[in-house]
Amino acid sequence: MGKWLTKTIEPKSSPQTEDHLSIEDLARLAEGSTEDTERQHFFDHLNHCQRCYDILQETLSDMSAQSAIHDPLPPWWKTKAAVFALAASIVLTFVIGGQMVYKNWMQPPSVILATLNLDQQLKDILLEDNALRWENAARIKRLVAILQQRGLSVKQLNGVVLSAPYFQKKSMFGPEEVLHVRIEGGVAYLEVTEK
Amino acid sequence: MNDENIDPEKILSSGEILERLEAVCKRHFSNENDQNECYVFVLDSLKADNYKRLRAYQGRSKLNTYLYSLTNSLVIDFRRKRYGRRRIPASVAQLGKWAEAVYRLVCWQKFSFDDAYDFLRIDGLFEGPYDKFIKEIEPIRNAPCRENPTFQSLNDPGNRFIQNTNGTNFNPLESLVQKLDRKRRFNALEVIRETIKALSPEDQLLVRLVYGSEQPVSVAARVMGLSASAARRRLKGLLAKFREELLAKGIREP
Repeated sequence: MGKWLTKTIEPKSSPQTEDHLSIEDLARLAEGSTEDTERQHFFDHLNHCQRCYDILQETLSDMSAQSAIHDPLPPWWKTKAAVFALAASIVLTFVIGGQMVYKNWMQPPSVILATLNLDQQLKDILLEDNALRWENAARIKRLVAILQQRGLSVKQLNGVVLSAPYFQKKSMFGPEEVLHVRIEGGVAYLEVTEK
Repeated sequence: MNDENIDPEKILSSGEILERLEAVCKRHFSNENDQNECYVFVLDSLKADNYKRLRAYQGRSKLNTYLYSLTNSLVIDFRRKRYGRRRIPASVAQLGKWAEAVYRLVCWQKFSFDDAYDFLRIDGLFEGPYDKFIKEIEPIRNAPCRENPTFQSLNDPGNRFIQNTNGTNFNPLESLVQKLDRKRRFNALEVIRETIKALSPEDQLLVRLVYGSEQPVSVAARVMGLSASAARRRLKGLLAKFREELLAKGIREP
């Protein structure tokens, strides 16, 4: 405790004994349970009475010491700071994660790359005709549906370009094939290779 | 709990309550004998006149708080009883009020003579220069002082200075005063005292509790019937006022 301030601003005089505040009023002051109407009188007295001021401030010290024993510091995860930190983390997660989700879910990525096993459904749509640039909207729409079934996040295509005409292999035990898909600018570029 | 529910004998047979009373005495005295005698004095006083002091409890506060206030009041009585009214040696008293003040500050309150000079100047008890003061305190230096290492008084800041040393409260006024040289410290303390006098009783008490007794702001706020944030705002305004007054007298942090 600072000696200079304590000495300089401590209450200076002590009123007559009969004028002292009652012990219970000092206890109520320490608890903060006094009424507005009586508080002013108490404050006036405490600013001039060393004894009452000392009893009050010693009572406050005892109460603080007692509460420190009975209410030791909670573990950090039970503190307000931890709750605020957790809340802030959640908010940040939603803010940052939300942006990522929005980017990934609401806005299609600019380029989609995928390699799919060339199953019968894909073979069928590739074998419909030999055109390298697909013009048939219904065919394109069906391709979109097939790609979606295989997990590609494509909503619609404006065009499809095949790297080379596709012909079914004659051998039943021929090598397995894969379809490389690259979707950019609403156009799907397809290429079939052996696995 | 109200007064009809009070059973003084039951209260004083509670181990928890007795421990609290003992803890109050331990906090006030560092010497074990003093602690024990204080505890016995408090218990005897509580039992006196058919538990008159405990029966005075009307249930308007919590019983524990009442017991703390009551015990602290009894500790003050015990201190007076044990050490009696201290008398200033005649050789000092004949020098005048200023000498008595020096004796009280140095012998009883354990301030240095240098500190005493500053306080005397603030109180207007000594007007001369420091050299003159040093010369005139010679008889006081030679006066008997029965103070001993365990001697304590409620007016003894040396005892109270050891409280609240956990560093949780920063005391900007004390910090400023400590950094100043003697002349400016004297001026600063005078400004602080005068500024406090001009404050409302509520603000005066808030400053005393927080910067004088270094109670936590939240505790002082509770006494004042304020929220902790309101008390902090008010203290901020008061510190600005102190700073303004100090700057007006040309006092700033070195």
